[in-house]
Amino acid sequence: MIEVKNLQKVFERTNENNVEEKFLALDNINFKAKSNEIIGILGPNGAGKTTLLRIIAGIMKPSKGTININNLTYQTAEIKIKKGIAFLSGNTKLYKNISAYELLKMCGEFYNVPKEKLKNRIEKIVKVLNMQTFLNNRIGNLSTGQAQKVNIARCLVADPKIYILDEATNGLDIISSQIILNFIKAEKKRHKCILYSTHYMEEAENICDRVILINKGKIIASGSPKDIKLQTKTSNLRDAFFSLLGGVDNE
Amino acid sequence: MSNILNIFKKEIRDILRDKKSLTMMFIIPFMIPLIIIGISYLFEYQMNLGIETYNKIGVTFKLSDREEEIAKKNEINFVYGNEKELKKKYNHEEIYAYLSKEGNKYTIYYNNQKDKSSLAANLINKYLEDYKINLQKETLENNNINSQEVLNIIEIETVNFQKENFLANYIIGYTFIFIITAITTAAIYPATDSTAGEKERGTLETLLTFPIKSKDIILGKYLAIVSSSFIAGLVSLIISLISLIICQNITSIYETTNLIISGKNIFIIIFIIFMYALFISGLAIAVASRCKTFKEAQSALTPLTFIAMFPNIIIFTMQVKCTPILAITPFINYNLIIIDLVSGNINYIYVILMFVSTIIYISFIINYIIKQYQSEKILFIN
Repeated sequence: MIEVKNLQKVFERTNENNVEEKFLALDNINFKAKSNEIIGILGPNGAGKTTLLRIIAGIMKPSKGTININNLTYQTAEIKIKKGIAFLSGNTKLYKNISAYELLKMCGEFYNVPKEKLKNRIEKIVKVLNMQTFLNNRIGNLSTGQAQKVNIARCLVADPKIYILDEATNGLDIISSQIILNFIKAEKKRHKCILYSTHYMEEAENICDRVILINKGKIIASGSPKDIKLQTKTSNLRDAFFSLLGGVDNE
Repeated sequence: MSNILNIFKKEIRDILRDKKSLTMMFIIPFMIPLIIIGISYLFEYQMNLGIETYNKIGVTFKLSDREEEIAKKNEINFVYGNEKELKKKYNHEEIYAYLSKEGNKYTIYYNNQKDKSSLAANLINKYLEDYKINLQKETLENNNINSQEVLNIIEIETVNFQKENFLANYIIGYTFIFIITAITTAAIYPATDSTAGEKERGTLETLLTFPIKSKDIILGKYLAIVSSSFIAGLVSLIISLISLIICQNITSIYETTNLIISGKNIFIIIFIIFMYALFISGLAIAVASRCKTFKEAQSALTPLTFIAMFPNIIIFTMQVKCTPILAITPFINYNLIIIDLVSGNINYIYVILMFVSTIIYISFIINYIIKQYQSEKILFIN
């Protein structure tokens, strides 16, 4: 479903001395993801998780390497690929001046969902996520949990094959986080492919089929949480991560 | 096409629900009647100033009986005093000008920046002219020369070709500058909000993850901003015409002015307003989309309002006429063609030049914005 090959991302920036400098954000990233699978992209802040997911979601371009999604590439079929992807990040902001219903309708229209189908889909999603009480309220007036539900709902409206979730539970309270985690589990059951980045190792251990550990833009390990723990002779992913790094000081 | 429409709908909804956008769209159109009516009344007040409001004039020397008689004929109320006293009275606006004499030389003291003082100076000139003729007549007659023959040796008749009403044309000319300003203001705020504002709020990233081509996002936004500025232009035009017609009925300065614009000319004016809305909306998006924050975009776009306004004021004040080069010069070509149109000197070649040049400018601008949106720098400009 998703095949990432030799991916590299170099950022150019101007430092305080007005000198152009290059920063290697991702280097030699390779992995595959298939349907009915939750892949955790794990790593500390600044490891390159967000950059990787942004490139896969098509809002950033790689400096080198290729991304194949259902045998299509962004160079030739950007819109077709994006129709099969929903991107949700901890920073995803919604339009505050419109109601939750208007947003869902608008998103459905962006994905060219036929009118009648869209109406039925919204009704179903609203019921599942229990959004009836605030459906017609402006998003700017919703609580964080309600807004997060709207965010999930707008991903579901498209009924994509792939979910790219970047630190989606970051900064959320325990109830709002659980809503997201339940949503991920439910979508896996619907044979979706889910790329899920987080720096909460325990969270990933619980829901991911496979994890990819990234540090300083490079993959340092990948496999099922069980395999990684076995490989590093540790009892949890957090310890496994530090073991791979050779200790906290090295990180 | 459907996604251009979807983005257009989204942007229009944003504009209509945002009080600031609506205010910026209609603030200048609703100020236009106040300006037109205010200036019309001011001009009429100046035109109709009664002589009793400026005929108090100081004089530093004793007038003869003959001088007093001529002064009376000219309705001048002379006030006596020395120069120091009269200067003080002038400063306190007890008199509006004063006259001194040294031998045969008369000096008029006045301020040409003040209406009443200028009118008082004109009155003194008229008085001195009458007095001079009176003296010439007396001298000629004392020498047995027919004063009528000498003084009227030639006859002068003045025919003024200027049939246009200067004051009315002045107000009408400025009205179109206000319309151009209204269109600019109505384009700038939504352009800032839908580009830099959207980037700052973080919704642009969300939008770019949707299956929509960058070109469709830009065209949808562009059409919404064109609509906003075009509506502001139309509302300004309608309000301006109504205000001018009201002023024609309640003041006398438009007496010789024909404010009835033909249907064809109205159509051309609307077309020019539309072309300007196309141009300024594109330019506003191009500038704002390079900025990281709403505030930065506002600062970057503020000069655009001045660029739209001041060159037009200068060319209008200098009474510049449209030329082929000016017809393709952005910002001023629109106003120059409208002024030519209203004064009945429309040259359709200039309209075509304006149209073609605007289309070329817009093509470059839209192309530039699309390229910006196709680059990830639009989101991650650092």
